[in-house]
This record gives sequence, C-alpha cells and structure tokens, in this order.
Amino acid sequence: MNDQLNKVLQKQQKQISEPEKVIDDVVQLVGFIIGNEEYAIPILSIQEIIKPIEYTRVPQVPDYVLGVFNLRGDVIPLIDLRKKFNLESAKQSDDTRYIVLKGKENIAGFVIDRLTEAIRIKRDRIDPPPETIHSETGMIYGVGKRDDSMLTILKVEALLKRDF
Amino acid sequence: MDDMQEIMEDFLVEAFELIEQIDQDLVELENNPEDLELLNRIFRVAHTVKGSSSFLNFDVLTGLTHHMEDVLNKARKGELKIEPAIMDVVLESIDMMKELLEAIRDNGNDTDIGMDITDICSRLDAISQGKAIEKEEIAEEEPEEEPVAKEPVAKEAVEPKHESEAEEDIDYSKMSDDEVEAEIERLLKEKKEEKKKKKALKEEGESTAPAKEVQQSKKEVEKPKPTPKAPVKTSSKSPTKAPVKKQPASAIEQTIRVEVKRLDHLMNLIGELVLGKNRLLKIYDDVEERYEGEKFLEELNQVVSSVSLVTTDLQIAVMKTRMLPVAKVFNKFPRMVRDLSRELGKSIELKITGEETELDKSIVEEIGDPLVHIIRNSCDHGIEDGDTRLLKGKSEGGTIELKAYHEGNNIVIEIVDDGKGLDPDMLRSKSLEKGIINEREADTMSDKEAYALIFKPGFSTAAQVTSVSGRGVGMDVVKTNIEKLNGIIDVDSEIDKGTIIKLKIPLTLAIIQALLVGVQEEFYAIPLASVLETVRIPLDEIYTIEGKNVLRLRDEVLSLVRLSDIFGVDQVYENNEHAYVVVIGLAESKLGVIVDTLVGQEEIVIKSMGDYLKGIDGIAGATIRGDGRVTLIVDVAALMDLAKNISIDITADTQSAQKVKEKPSDYYVLIVDDSKMDRNIMKKALTPTGISLVEATNGQEALNIIKSGEYNFDAVLIDIEMPRMDGYTLASEIRKYSKYKHLSLIAVTSRTSKSDRLRGVESGMSEYITKPYSPEYLESVVRKNIKLLAE
Repeated sequence: MNDQLNKVLQKQQKQISEPEKVIDDVVQLVGFIIGNEEYAIPILSIQEIIKPIEYTRVPQVPDYVLGVFNLRGDVIPLIDLRKKFNLESAKQSDDTRYIVLKGKENIAGFVIDRLTEAIRIKRDRIDPPPETIHSETGMIYGVGKRDDSMLTILKVEALLKRDF
Repeated sequence: MDDMQEIMEDFLVEAFELIEQIDQDLVELENNPEDLELLNRIFRVAHTVKGSSSFLNFDVLTGLTHHMEDVLNKARKGELKIEPAIMDVVLESIDMMKELLEAIRDNGNDTDIGMDITDICSRLDAISQGKAIEKEEIAEEEPEEEPVAKEPVAKEAVEPKHESEAEEDIDYSKMSDDEVEAEIERLLKEKKEEKKKKKALKEEGESTAPAKEVQQSKKEVEKPKPTPKAPVKTSSKSPTKAPVKKQPASAIEQTIRVEVKRLDHLMNLIGELVLGKNRLLKIYDDVEERYEGEKFLEELNQVVSSVSLVTTDLQIAVMKTRMLPVAKVFNKFPRMVRDLSRELGKSIELKITGEETELDKSIVEEIGDPLVHIIRNSCDHGIEDGDTRLLKGKSEGGTIELKAYHEGNNIVIEIVDDGKGLDPDMLRSKSLEKGIINEREADTMSDKEAYALIFKPGFSTAAQVTSVSGRGVGMDVVKTNIEKLNGIIDVDSEIDKGTIIKLKIPLTLAIIQALLVGVQEEFYAIPLASVLETVRIPLDEIYTIEGKNVLRLRDEVLSLVRLSDIFGVDQVYENNEHAYVVVIGLAESKLGVIVDTLVGQEEIVIKSMGDYLKGIDGIAGATIRGDGRVTLIVDVAALMDLAKNISIDITADTQSAQKVKEKPSDYYVLIVDDSKMDRNIMKKALTPTGISLVEATNGQEALNIIKSGEYNFDAVLIDIEMPRMDGYTLASEIRKYSKYKHLSLIAVTSRTSKSDRLRGVESGMSEYITKPYSPEYLESVVRKNIKLLAE
C-alpha cells in the first residue's frame, strides 16, 4: 500500500518537474521588409496593421519620429523604421504600411516598406543576436533560422522605448 | 475585514469634511463666543470624530477628541467663555486631530507617528477645570481616568469594547446620525429655554451685565500678553452659511458621493463626443456647399444643430459635476490670517467674498498653495504694523480682501491688501543687487515689469528671514503653479495704498477654447486663456534690440518670436509685408508670437500623446480636429522659455530666404495633364527654354509631388478635366498651403466659357490658357509668370 502510494507520488512528482514535451514551442511572428532585409515581430504585440494615413509633424523630436496620427480618436506616435535603422528614406508606396505595436505602457505606429507573411518558427530555431551587431541599441531579440533565409526578430519593448 | 475597511474609509471621508469647516467656525466663534449654533457645530465635530474613532479603536485620537469635547461641552453649556488664549489651545488640538487623521489615512493607525497627546490633554483639562469653577467634580475626574482605563481594554478585542466604555459613549455610538442630531436638538432647546429663563431673571436685575462681563474677561486675557495688539476680526459673509444658521441640520442636501475616477471617465467620454460634434459640423459645412438648396439639407441642419446643442449642454453639465466652490480653499485662510496676525503682532482683517464661485476640482487643488504664499506675503510684507499705519494716517488694523468671481471662461481671484504697496525703485535696486537683472534692464523696466520681479526665484525684499516669509521661494511657487494651470498673474500696486494681485485661471483643463494658428502648412492650437490679443503689424514696425526682435505695442515693448523658429518649421513660404502677432500672456510675462495665419477659435479636447512623446518642449498635448487631423497644442509656459534662446532676426532673413536662381534649369515647372499627348505638346513648347520640367497625370499625384517638397516649383500648368482630382480642386488645394500662395497656377484647357474662367479664378488660378495654343504663346505666358526673361 505504502509502496504503491509512493510510486504514484513519485510519478506525479516527475510529471511536475519535467512535463512531457508534447506542445511544440512555436513562436508566431509577422514578417516585413525594411530596405533589403526581412524583419519580424511577435504577432501578439501587434495591435493592428493599417494603410498609411496622414500624420502631423511634432517639433523637437529626432527625425525618425515622423509625428502623430489619429487612430480612431487616439493620438499615436509614428516612427519611421528606415530612419531609425539609419537607412536612406524612401517614398511611401502602395505597399507601405503602419504597424501599430502595443507594449505594456506605450503604443506607437511604425512605418515599414511592405509586409511579407505570418511566420511560425520553433523557439529552438531562434538564436540570440550576434554580439557584434546592434549590441549597443539592443533592438534585436534574436535571429530566426529558416530553411532558406535568416530573419531578424525585433524586440518590441526596445522599439517602444523612448530613447531621446 | 472588507467591512472594516469600508467603515474606515467612510470615517476618513466624513472626518476630513468635518474638519474642513471647523477651522472657520472656530475663528468665527472667537468673535461671537456666545453663538450657540456655532458651538454646537464644533462640538458635534469633536463628538462625531470621538465616537467613530473609539469604534475603530483609534485610542490616541479618541483620547484627544474626548478632552476637546470636554472643553467644548463646557463652552456650549455656557460654563466656559471662549477667549483667545483658550482658542489657541483648542486650535492646537484641532491641528493635532488633523495630523492624527492624516496618519490614519496614510498608515491605517494613529499610533505609528507616536504623537504625544498628554501635554495637550492636560492643558485642555486645565481649561475645562480651571474655568469651569464649581459644577460636578465627578465629571472632571472622568476624563483623567478614562484614557488610562480604556487602553488595555481596547486592545483586548473589538466586541467587548462597547460594554467597557463609558456609558455616555455607548449611547452615542449606538445612535444613528439622525438620532444624535435629534439628541443635540433636544439639548439645544433645553439650553435655550434655560437661557431664556436666566435672561429673564437677569433682566429684572441688571440688563447689561452679561455683555460687560464678556468684554472684561476679554481684556483680562489680553493684558498679560505682550504681542497681540488687538483681537483679530475675521468676518466672512457666506451666503451658504446664512440659511444653515436659520434651519440647522434639517436642510440636508440631496447628494451622492461619486468617485472622482468615474467623473474623469465621464469627462473623457464627453471629450470624444465634442470631437465627434466638431467633425459633424465640419462635414455639414462641406455637404452644405455641395448640395446647396436641397431639401434634406434643412433636416440635416436641424439634426446637427440639436446634436451640437445637446453636446454643449452635456459638456457643461458634466463640467459642473466636477466643480467645487472655491470656499474649499478659502476656508483655511481666516484661521491662517488669525494665526499670522497673532504671530506678527499686527491686526489684520480678512474679508472674503465670492467663495461660492465654483471651479474644477483639479484647479481647486492647485490654487491652495499659491494663495497661501500670497496671503502670507501680504500679512508679512504688505500690511504694516499698527503704529506705522497710524503714522501714515491709516486705520490701525490692516485689511486683506480675498475675492473670487467669474470673468468669461475664467475665474479671477483677487488678493487686495491696504498695506505699504510695492516700491518699483526698491524692487529694481534689490534685484540688481541680487543679480537677477542687469543695469540696463533695470533702467528700461516699466513699473509693471518691476512688480513682476517679485516672482523671480531668489528674490526677497524682507530684511530678514522670518518664520513666515523672506526666503524668496514663495512667489516663485505661485508663478509655477499658476503657469501649470495656464493662468495669468497681474500685479498692481501703489505705494502706501496697497497691492492688488489678480490671478486669472481658466475654469477647466480638459476641454478648452483655443486659437488655431497656421505656421507655414502646419497648424497649432494656442489655449485661448493665454491669448491676450492678436494684432496685424507691418514688418517695418519690428525693431531689433540686442539681437532680439521687439514690437512697440501701445506703451509696451513686446518681445517677438516666430512660432516657426521655435518649432523648426521649414521656412518655405516668403514673408508678407505684414505679420500676425498673437500676444500671449502667462503668469506675469508676455510674448508676441508671429504666425502666418489666424485660423479661428475652436473648442478642443486635450489628448495626451502617450508616454513615448510625453514632455516635449513647447507641446502640451494634441487634439483631433473636425477634419480628423491631429493638431498640436502649444504649451505656453514652455514656449516662453524656448523663446528666450532664439535670436533669429525676423526682419533680416526675409531677403536671404529667397534662393537666387541663376540659370533657366533652376526654375521648375510642373505639368499636370492626364493625356500623354497634351503633356508632350507642353514639354515640346517649354524644353527650348531650359526650364526643368516635372510631370503628373492627375490632380492627386500633382498635389503629392508638390507637398513632398522635393521640387521648389515656380509654376504649375494644370489641365481641368482629369481623373481622381480635377484642376479646380487641385488649384484650391494648393492655395490652402500658405507657402504656395504666390505659386503661379496656369490653367491649360479647352473649356472656354466665361463661367469656366470664373471658376478658374475662384479656385485660385493665376492664368488661363485655352487650347489650342501656339508653343510660343505658352512659352511667353510661362516666362511671364516665373519672371524668367527670354535671352
């Protein structure tokens, strides 16, 4: 009786300490292009993706902050990721979109060149960012390895953090 | 436990409301020591607090209020005359009571701050024993024993507490409020009856005796005290109080307590509604233009008007729910002035009027501190001491008037004293001494500007620092707080006559009236409360003094700054010979802001720009206009600071702004036509001139090219019939941008009727070329318009 009970207890203990790896640890991302590179952002931190609308310039801010725009009654900052990444600015095209990201406290829209696709990637396929790149800005969460390409996954909190 | 928490919260809310009134009542009591109604009210406060605190096991507070109650009870029964000396002790105990209540609010108990109440209790006892003379020696012993006896018992448990308390306490704590009131009413009546009888008896003997007695006893107290020269008279004629006196307690207002958070939420929703309304009005205007004379327009008009009317009413109604009478702040001043005058040995009377004036809760909370500082200053520096006043031929006692009244969308608070006034020369030399201003500034400064010096940090005229004032921080606090509220301070003074300080504060902060101004193609909203006036001036009236632009406006010299320089707006549009100057005023300073256009006055709802863009210099927030665009709201205080660092000569760069065009290819002409053939014809005609040409296939595209600012166009050739946006619309859109006001727009069209030409002029076309045309004609028209002469 006691032995049996112990066995059951041990089994339960084991289950708690190392849960069976049935669920694939998959991250869902939204991929987009800025310049020549593909970036991705976790889908859960995206509030919405909208077509470009008019924005109002705000003075006394760095040039990558384009201004503010009206999203159904809320005033939301608009950030140009090209300028933020020190790329040459390009004209808006039909593919240009604003990705509205929502963090814990902040919300902001980001201008991207075009969307690619929704991506599912296993967590173990994501490497930490190489130490040499962007280590000082810390905007990169990791690099996702895909069959034929690499994917830079951005850190949402870092993007939404005011750095001026 | 939750129940306890709730009771505790109720207790605190009630207690704080009660003590709000008590200060004023007490000071008034000093003047009318026999006002039974006042005494009763004060007694009731002490009693209520005692009852509730003993129920909640706040032993220190209970002990203190119990002793207070003793004294007040004696006074109420006429066994004790309230004199200034006694008043001091009572007031002190009230202060301690407040402190304890605050401690309870912060810590949840009254023991953490470790206040020692034995001293004050024994003094209160001394008063109640010493002056009470005969009557019930038993009653006197009671208070001494009680606190000692109560403490251990109260610690045991909550339940048996009632039994262990003195009988009197059980009675009251078990009673409901109404019952207590009733009880007091009953006692009061008895008391009055007794008094009447006594009076009747006494009148038979000596009729004036009681009055004499009072005066005598007052004098007796004053004599041994060296400092105070006269008793303080603090009168306050409150209309709210008058009815209370007549029908005490029974006239309870019908109210419910609502969390401020809910009101704030309501206010936010109204804000959205106001934006919606603005939008609706704008759309209605557009629709009216397009479908003039249609029948449904009338109906739409009715709906829009009624919606807008209701929205406005709703907004006012909700604003009113957030309004508090300014009495909430004013109430603490009689007490403060009384204490100050005793401390300073001056006789000062505080007259309050208009304390029923209402303003937004958030503002009421902010104006307390500034007023404290101003009144302290008036007491300390303004009002002279009695002897000096008599020498100057004034009455011995000084007067400070505190007035509040409405003026448009603002509330004005005036602090008027009849003291020695401000001496502008003294202010100048003092600030020169302290290095606040330099000699040149001192020389050119007007008296009015000199008065404003008192608001500079570090400025103080007091020969020595007293406990009341003299450190030179107070008025700086006034300035900062009033600025925060977008208020204006106005100081006026006359030597030996007195000083008037006027605070003008907008009624509410959430929805405000704003002046919309255009700067190049951007728009900004300036809170109307800060706008003093707008003037249109010719540029040659702007003078330059030490690299700063100034304007002589009537008898004042006003610094000028261009809004576009502050906000770094690209200066694309050339200056007119005239400039619009918006004169803004905040606290005590003024500034002239040059803008390109005045759009008009509009009601705006302040929206935050989120954490990401919080605290940008010069921007207070954003608002959404009727057309759905975001417009930034100018932070007037920050703007004034920013303006100090800008020294761009407005008059000088009008010339340098123009780029020199040397060769024909420096000129740019935009060709807008949906037909490729037509574009080619125009190109062929113009290519020989060497002018740089840019093409667009419709109005929308052309507008985008122009707006992008990539090219600096000298002329635009516009076809009228085009998809997406026709030529007329394009022209009027372009003319909306102030920097393109002088851009040549040449219509090239086969529409030749007179009405077409007229429409072209209306939409802002500068020339009208009808198809077909000869290449030479086109070339000459273009050359004429861009002022490029043929070689």
